[in-house]
Amino acid sequence: MSDEFEPTIVAFLCNWCTFTAADLAGSSRLSYPQNVKIIRMMCSGMVDPIYVLKAFLDGADGVFIGGCWPGDCHYINGNLKARRRVALVTEILKQFGIEEDRFWLRWVAASDGVMFRELSKEMTEKLKELGPNPLKVNKMIA
Amino acid sequence: MAEFSKLSCKKGALNESLAGLFKDMLEKGVVDAVLVPSHQPVKGIMQTLIADPAKLDSADPFAPVVPVNSAKLVSSLTNVPSGRPVAVVMRSCEVRAFLELIKLKQASVEDLVLIGIDCLGRYENTDYLKLEQDGVTTQSFLEAVLSGKGTEISKGIDVAPACKICEYPEPDNVDIKLCVIGSGPDEVYVEWVSEKGKYVLDKLGIEAGDGHSGRDEALKQIMSERISERDKVFTELYEQVNTLEKLQEHLAGCINCYNCRVACPVCYCKECVFVTDTFRHPGDQYMSWGDNRGAVKMPAETLLYHMTRMTHMSTLCVGCGQCTSACPNDIPLAELFRSIANRTQARFDYHPGRSLDEPQPLAVFYDDELVDVTGQVK
Amino acid sequence: MPTITINNRQVDVEAGMTVLNVAKEIKINIPTLCHNQGLEPYGGCRLCVVEIKAGGRPGLSTSCTLKATDGLVVETDSERVKKSRRLTMELLLARSPNVPIIQTLALEQGVTDTRFSKEDNDCILCGQCIRMCKERMGVSAIGIFNRGSNRVVSTPFDEFSEVCRKCGACASVCPTGCIDISKLSDKEPNYLSSDWNEGLMPRKPIYIPFPQAVPKLPVIDTTACVHLNTGACGVCADTCVAKAIDFEQEDEIVTLDVGSIIVATGFDVMDPTPMESYGYSKFANVITNLEFERLSNATGPTSGKILLKDPDDKWGHTNPPQSVAFLHCIGSRDKNYHEYCSRTCCMYALKMAHLVKDKCGHETQVYNFYIDMRCFGKGYEEFYRRIQDEGVRMIRGKAVEVTDKAEDSSEEGLLIVRAEDTLTGKVLRVPVEMVVLCTAMEARSDAQEVARTLGLSLSADGFFMEEHPKLEPVSTPTSGVFLAGACQGPKDIPDSVAQAKAAASEAQSLSTLGKVVVLPMISYIDKDLCIGCQVCIDLCPYGAIEFDDLKGISVVNEAVCKGCGSCAGYCPSGAAGIRHFTQKQIFGEIEGILAS
Repeated sequence: MSDEFEPTIVAFLCNWCTFTAADLAGSSRLSYPQNVKIIRMMCSGMVDPIYVLKAFLDGADGVFIGGCWPGDCHYINGNLKARRRVALVTEILKQFGIEEDRFWLRWVAASDGVMFRELSKEMTEKLKELGPNPLKVNKMIA
Repeated sequence: MAEFSKLSCKKGALNESLAGLFKDMLEKGVVDAVLVPSHQPVKGIMQTLIADPAKLDSADPFAPVVPVNSAKLVSSLTNVPSGRPVAVVMRSCEVRAFLELIKLKQASVEDLVLIGIDCLGRYENTDYLKLEQDGVTTQSFLEAVLSGKGTEISKGIDVAPACKICEYPEPDNVDIKLCVIGSGPDEVYVEWVSEKGKYVLDKLGIEAGDGHSGRDEALKQIMSERISERDKVFTELYEQVNTLEKLQEHLAGCINCYNCRVACPVCYCKECVFVTDTFRHPGDQYMSWGDNRGAVKMPAETLLYHMTRMTHMSTLCVGCGQCTSACPNDIPLAELFRSIANRTQARFDYHPGRSLDEPQPLAVFYDDELVDVTGQVK
Repeated sequence: MPTITINNRQVDVEAGMTVLNVAKEIKINIPTLCHNQGLEPYGGCRLCVVEIKAGGRPGLSTSCTLKATDGLVVETDSERVKKSRRLTMELLLARSPNVPIIQTLALEQGVTDTRFSKEDNDCILCGQCIRMCKERMGVSAIGIFNRGSNRVVSTPFDEFSEVCRKCGACASVCPTGCIDISKLSDKEPNYLSSDWNEGLMPRKPIYIPFPQAVPKLPVIDTTACVHLNTGACGVCADTCVAKAIDFEQEDEIVTLDVGSIIVATGFDVMDPTPMESYGYSKFANVITNLEFERLSNATGPTSGKILLKDPDDKWGHTNPPQSVAFLHCIGSRDKNYHEYCSRTCCMYALKMAHLVKDKCGHETQVYNFYIDMRCFGKGYEEFYRRIQDEGVRMIRGKAVEVTDKAEDSSEEGLLIVRAEDTLTGKVLRVPVEMVVLCTAMEARSDAQEVARTLGLSLSADGFFMEEHPKLEPVSTPTSGVFLAGACQGPKDIPDSVAQAKAAASEAQSLSTLGKVVVLPMISYIDKDLCIGCQVCIDLCPYGAIEFDDLKGISVVNEAVCKGCGSCAGYCPSGAAGIRHFTQKQIFGEIEGILAS
């Protein structure tokens, strides 16, 4: 039994690209870390910043948003709107001690199960280094 | 080429001269009404929509108090336009907030003559009422401040902290400017800025010429004071509130009354999401939180509220300070929100109120931008 | 309208016509050599002479220059005419006895030999080349020099011409085929080759792509056409009987409103040139599968014969090969190029092996170098058996190299294929005359662009991605767009046809159903919360939100909304939301994950 810290990553994945890639990773038996908990969104542009804030305030160690590569969005440009919102929220989170590395926006193509696995592993490792969300200690917040 | 007219003021007759200008505008049919801060029957100053020239005697445009950010009021006037011309008197923060509301289709500027005034700061409402009782007038306030005596004209009573760090003592994007900085309360210069402003000048038949030579100097001086104060405040805040725990401490007095949201001129939602059904939780939600965390402060989701408000409006924050003024528990929200706004506005190089042609950061998006957000290239 | 009498027939003619053209129209045959419909008449060869009986100066006159004037009476086959023609042919035969067309024309005139001493000059000085270059190409790079019997067609001072464009027009009109344009200029010619024939045959700037082209009409290559690039030539337009050539034609962009699209854009064949060890582009007789197909085709460069390429002649072929090697999996099943199997190659390699045996003789040595034999379909395994019985040698080992460095005399002048035979464990050197590479099928080079335009994704192999690998082989995530054929992945004809029928049936059923099924996850805007800021309208990629001026709120058009959530992701008050993805629901999911 390991006492090692296992980060919890809340992942908002877009249905058409990243979620499909995660599905593909699964059906190809590509093992990705259990730390990644997936919430399916129809598009990365559907992710309201309040979900990200809530995830962190509820104790998530990391938040991952997966979208299609620019130009490939199933809804044409939802990912570009997501990118702007992520830039904005990152600024706010940075100020309050939530490091940039805890909140990722990444592009994953539908056929790229391998990349989804790699990113999951990368983020999990990164968060193990950064440590748990400080709110996990003081739970009486939010 | 900027054109200026010098309003002839007898010493101590600042409001009289200004009232005369407004009366002229009404009587010559330039506008049908004037929205100007005016003395109320009993006490206090409020923006008043005046259609009868006789009632202009109570007008006091430069009074150092702003109970409500006028952007909201002018938005009420023009959301469904009356089609009739109105002159509105506003300070810089109000004008900038107003321009943002226009971009959000909550106001329109077609029938308006925007009259901007120089602003040396405002006192909190209760403080002002006290000062008024003690015989402080707009005249004496301006005299003191413009001669360098500072804004704490009565011991312990100073202008709002937000005003001390505001970099906009003079308004922009207006039709007419009422200028006292550099010249003093006895020499008000009217600057006719835009095409509309020059049209009004025409209709009123006033002479125009050069402005006051000392103005640019004086403005620079004020701005450099304000900017250095601002930088000091930001640096302190960035240190003081750099974790979520410290943020919670900072907001310890918050009771989720949402007054700050009501007072904020750029919070434009009909109903804030936090009072909608989305946040109407059933009892077992609270119990579940209690089970998971051990203890839950009620009302809950205070941090979420403030951080969400930062996300929604920090790029539009004009630093008017009404949030702090409205807070029943005196939480210094204006400085906090301005410090966050400083970061988010810089990220998109966006200055609220700089131009009507600049779209708001979350209302647009481009193909090639912000590549560093993902750091991925194909 | 003038009337002339030709061979006792009275004919009404148009003013300005020549007697030769009149004769052509009424199907009287007059032989010519120097005449070209697109060039001015020359009257040089004297073959087209006719006898004027009346209406002009009596005697022989060249019909190509003779204008048909009113009252003219001519005879095209009188004794005098025949005698003249025979003499002309005798003279020509003396000058050019070895030129096929001279021999044919002489025979037609009843001339078998000549009394004059024979020379061996292929050029008959008909002047067509010169007139072509001057009149049509507008350049005059060549001309006739010297006088009398020393007359010769050449460039000024016999030097390389500065102005010669190497267009090949002179060579194309030369009746004897004696023009070698490499002697006229040292510029590098830009060979136009037939794409359909894999570059094995030349074509002209105006050409019919292939015999089964639909529509079967000539097209003009605008980059190569002399008229479109210089204003000269235009022979085709003048020659066209139907006057069907219009140089002013512009590209027309046509907009069609359609309900569904079937993408059947096919595949590209991988270019094996980068795989240097196989020597493609280096050795003339290392060819690709498609080049072999063209050789084998009756309308191809060799009329269906399998022949070796002549390394010294760009368009030439020599003899049938005595040995052929087929190399499977070139670029397929290869970590360095494409990891996938191209599915069709094993079977067509067997087919080609059979064709070689059939066309070049059963004693031809045929070798197939394979990794695995993939004969998965109906009758495929049986076919494999049959080909083996025909004596085709199957070697289980992918070829690694094709080289011309002989190690002994038996390999001299041949291409040596090196491979390891994994069944015997021996490294082989197999000398052959021809090597055919079974190159990989790959996605078209513009697949990414097409995908972006139609809203499709690409699979890891670069082909278009189907909606579901098992259950939806022909539809895509974009409703109304279907896939058929190799654009979705390598496959052979029966599978392509099956997919095409499936796609057509799905597309048809869309239009016959009468209604469209939309996903329920679409946007709705709460009319009590919306304050009409209209930002959602700017963000919507489909224009699915409209502003209701009367109520001052934004309203979603449910038929257009695709449920992307851009509006919901922005709306600060939560007035805009996606059904089944509401804020409360997502909060619930987040809580559920993090409640621990």
